[in-house]
Amino acid sequence: MMKNKRTGTLISIQDSLVKARFYGDVIMGETAEIAVDGKMLQAEVLQITPDPKKEDAGIAEMQVFEDLTGAKIGDEVEFKHDALSVLLGPGLLTSIWDGLQNSLYPLSEQDSYLKPGLKAPALDEEKLWEFTPSAKVGDALKGGDAIGWVMEGRFEHKILVPFTIGKCVLESIIEKQAVNIKEVVAVINDEQGTRHELKLVFRQAVKSPIPFQERAIPNKTISTGVRVIDLLAPVSYGGTVGNPGPFGAGKTVMQHSLCKYALADIIIMAACGERAGEAVEVFKDFAELSDPSTGESLMNRMCIFGNTSSMPVAAREASVFIALTVGEYYRYQGYNVILLADSTSRWAQALRERSGRQGDIPGPEAFPMDIPDQIKGMYQRAGADSATGGSLTFIGTVSPAGGNFQEPVTQATMDATGGFWGLSQDRADAKKYPAIDPLVYTTSVYDSFISWEDREKILQVLNEANGIDQTISTIGLKKVPVEKYELYQKGQTIDFCVLQQDAFHDLDACTRPERLQIINQAVQKLIDQPMQYSTEGMDDEEVKEMIKSKFDNLRQWWKEWNTYAQDEEQIETLAIKIDQFILQEEYAS
Amino acid sequence: MIRKEINKISEVGKALISVEGNPGVALNHVVELLNADSNQSLSFAKAINISEDSTRFQVFNGTQGLSTKTKIRIHERPLTAGFSKNMLGRSFDGIGEVNDGGPEIIYEKQLSTRLDTLNPTVRLVPKQALWTGIPMIDVFNTLVKSQKIPIFAGPTEPYNKLLSQIAQGAKADVIIFAGIGLKFDEYQYFKNELSKSGNMDKTIMFSHLAGESQIKGLMLPDVALSVAREFADQGKDVLVLLTDMTNWSNILRNVANYQDMIPSLQGYPGSLYSELAKRYEVAADIEGAGSITIIGATTLESLEDPVPDNTGYITEGQFFLENGKLKLARSLSRLKQQVNGDTRNDHRAIMTAMASLLAEAEKAYEAAEVGAANDPFSQKLLRYRKDFIEKVEEPFGKPLQLEEALDLCWDILREHFDAAETGLSKKLIDQYWNK
Repeated sequence: MMKNKRTGTLISIQDSLVKARFYGDVIMGETAEIAVDGKMLQAEVLQITPDPKKEDAGIAEMQVFEDLTGAKIGDEVEFKHDALSVLLGPGLLTSIWDGLQNSLYPLSEQDSYLKPGLKAPALDEEKLWEFTPSAKVGDALKGGDAIGWVMEGRFEHKILVPFTIGKCVLESIIEKQAVNIKEVVAVINDEQGTRHELKLVFRQAVKSPIPFQERAIPNKTISTGVRVIDLLAPVSYGGTVGNPGPFGAGKTVMQHSLCKYALADIIIMAACGERAGEAVEVFKDFAELSDPSTGESLMNRMCIFGNTSSMPVAAREASVFIALTVGEYYRYQGYNVILLADSTSRWAQALRERSGRQGDIPGPEAFPMDIPDQIKGMYQRAGADSATGGSLTFIGTVSPAGGNFQEPVTQATMDATGGFWGLSQDRADAKKYPAIDPLVYTTSVYDSFISWEDREKILQVLNEANGIDQTISTIGLKKVPVEKYELYQKGQTIDFCVLQQDAFHDLDACTRPERLQIINQAVQKLIDQPMQYSTEGMDDEEVKEMIKSKFDNLRQWWKEWNTYAQDEEQIETLAIKIDQFILQEEYAS
Repeated sequence: MIRKEINKISEVGKALISVEGNPGVALNHVVELLNADSNQSLSFAKAINISEDSTRFQVFNGTQGLSTKTKIRIHERPLTAGFSKNMLGRSFDGIGEVNDGGPEIIYEKQLSTRLDTLNPTVRLVPKQALWTGIPMIDVFNTLVKSQKIPIFAGPTEPYNKLLSQIAQGAKADVIIFAGIGLKFDEYQYFKNELSKSGNMDKTIMFSHLAGESQIKGLMLPDVALSVAREFADQGKDVLVLLTDMTNWSNILRNVANYQDMIPSLQGYPGSLYSELAKRYEVAADIEGAGSITIIGATTLESLEDPVPDNTGYITEGQFFLENGKLKLARSLSRLKQQVNGDTRNDHRAIMTAMASLLAEAEKAYEAAEVGAANDPFSQKLLRYRKDFIEKVEEPFGKPLQLEEALDLCWDILREHFDAAETGLSKKLIDQYWNK
């Protein structure tokens, strides 16, 4: 369908915000291109107002996704009709884009630096995909129905009728053959009599969620490999988690662990306003690591939006929505997808910068007044689909100013998500990683790999041990009774040997449910059974000394077990060790 | 080309001027301000927001002495930075003009100061340690080529001394010194230190002294980093010393305030994070070219202040200086994992073990203040803590090779603890405990 070219001219430029005068019609949310020194810069319409100077004109306020140096009053703006959208189709996996889905490797062939106006296709346009039709001429179809499929690596990737199309009939479809994404594979006619040519790819507006077929409550626990999460703060496929922490508390390492070890079909990483080096580490180093479920390169299950901190701030908002839409697309295809957004605070700050420039009345800490609703709306796009069997899990990191969890974005996130992994500065300072504080900042509405009672028992011991720890710090060890001291040592042992985990050690970095069960059995036994030792001829202080030294030895042994026990026989030694420890039998090491 | 000129300035404020209407100047392009009578050049200025009703400029030399009659001459280009190898050994101001009294420089080329983002795909994953001889850095928070890392310190701490000491050890091809809001003695200190160590020939100093025009201070990092980037693009390993980014952020705050921007926290503009990130992200190891490492200084009253707080989220860790010591608890090198796995086999383990013992010791120290640390283990911890602070957290002691520093760590552990109390594996204990 041909549309008339609609244009306007710039009348005001301030940082990334511009105003253009137009005659005729402009659509709220549509994209536009601004011609600056022969380059076309991408923009999005934010607001439309009357022109106080010219009665027959209007003013479109826009945010521009690229640096505007050199823009002048009078520069031409072309309105593009379509809302900001993402290209969906085979080839998404293994891709690395900027925040607007420009493919970064092809861009680097044009220039090492991301100069304004440089563009690259989102998906490889030459690559051939073996298309197998599944629909027949004359079939009644609608948006979201499959007409065929291609294999994208190990994934069967259905080719869909775009979601914007209603009821339609298939007029023609090609035979099984290899095609690229520019070729037409089928033709359909909709009820309005409009003819649509379908390719392997289509565009989807990023602020219009791809629908669920049958939305379901997330109820299947994800094995993330991180013990403190899988035991105490689990997340299910289709769930949502907020992961706040002050800088240096270990958010990045946590994200990287999830990328490497979380069991899912597909991982999407939206590096939103964060360090470029971290995204680079993922796509350069992780490519050499293997996917825990298939053994293939880890990158085969990933795609990355690298909208890093020095890139134009307006594209930051877009990048999260683009990533969400890709996630919804694969969920619709029946896959379990985890979206890691790092960091939603930077996304919120992009909204803050923009609303400040637009002169909106600021809410708390100058964030837009409706930021809680926007955050909730974003997390709501995650979810499980029982009809397709797919899910989209959204794990968002939060970077609270000053590490203060009372700030607006953290608070809104706590309200919006089903799970909460709060990283604590104190634990990070003590280099207790992962620094999720199991007592203060953990919540989850999802099921764990261990029973609710076991989980409660662990939390109770940690809680009591923490209380005793405080007593020791304030009135001294002498005032603590022996049995309490033993409980304290048990809490310390669970913390040191189970909750703390070395993310950089090949074996310790990832614990699967079967091993977790064995660890849990050992933990439960340690909690339930009092130690049997003789205290003859010792005073209380000597007994405590003895208890400490016994637990020191256990911890040293257990910590080592974490790093070597692999075969069944080695793994079994944990249960034996705990029995011996409780009975205080001599054991060979 | 006939240059367009304007004769009517409508508004002169702090650091900013405005003219009515739009004289055809583009965003971020420069104009020259001239005395209306003598045509003498007074300053350059940059167009920061433009509309058909008015155009506003940041004036590089400040607005003192400007009048509504001051003439504006339009240059159809953004601010550029001159580049030449002859800049080595010389000193410049915040907009790249020679300020050491030496001869003018003939530039080979003019560089854009826009600091475009490096395409992430041409970044190399950093893998090369920069050894400093400082145990707290080399053992616990190894510095890595292409890292961006600030020193966080109170205003009276010896952060400049530490910055200078790290710079001397880092073995860069080119050192770019970028000083913003410096006191004269700080400027002179760096100049002397770099000369004394024989590094002046490979150093370019960009300096902005406290009291000089704010806009020049604001522009300084962009000019200095553009020059640094050009050297890196030519294959050099460049070290940039950025001090003090709190001064720079405060200028940013002032100018945002003059521009009536809505403040977010403590008066800083909502864009503080993005503005800091734009500069720090220049640090990179570039495929097929050289590298840029940025070591900054950020003075602070409290870690929760917006400047250190935002910086911490941007940089790859921080060195925390307190009471003249590099404190383990709050220092962090995010890139250390890239390099400390290939050193001696006890490196990572000793780092972790000493850190968790120190955390225990800090608790015992607090307990001791209320007389609650009388048990024998607490006493051990307290003695350990004292030793650790004196020997390991001291940044200005005798420089140690990594192996020497690791041996020092074992000595300290052996002196204060039983082997099992350290949490170290039996294998390492067997190898090193009785060495």
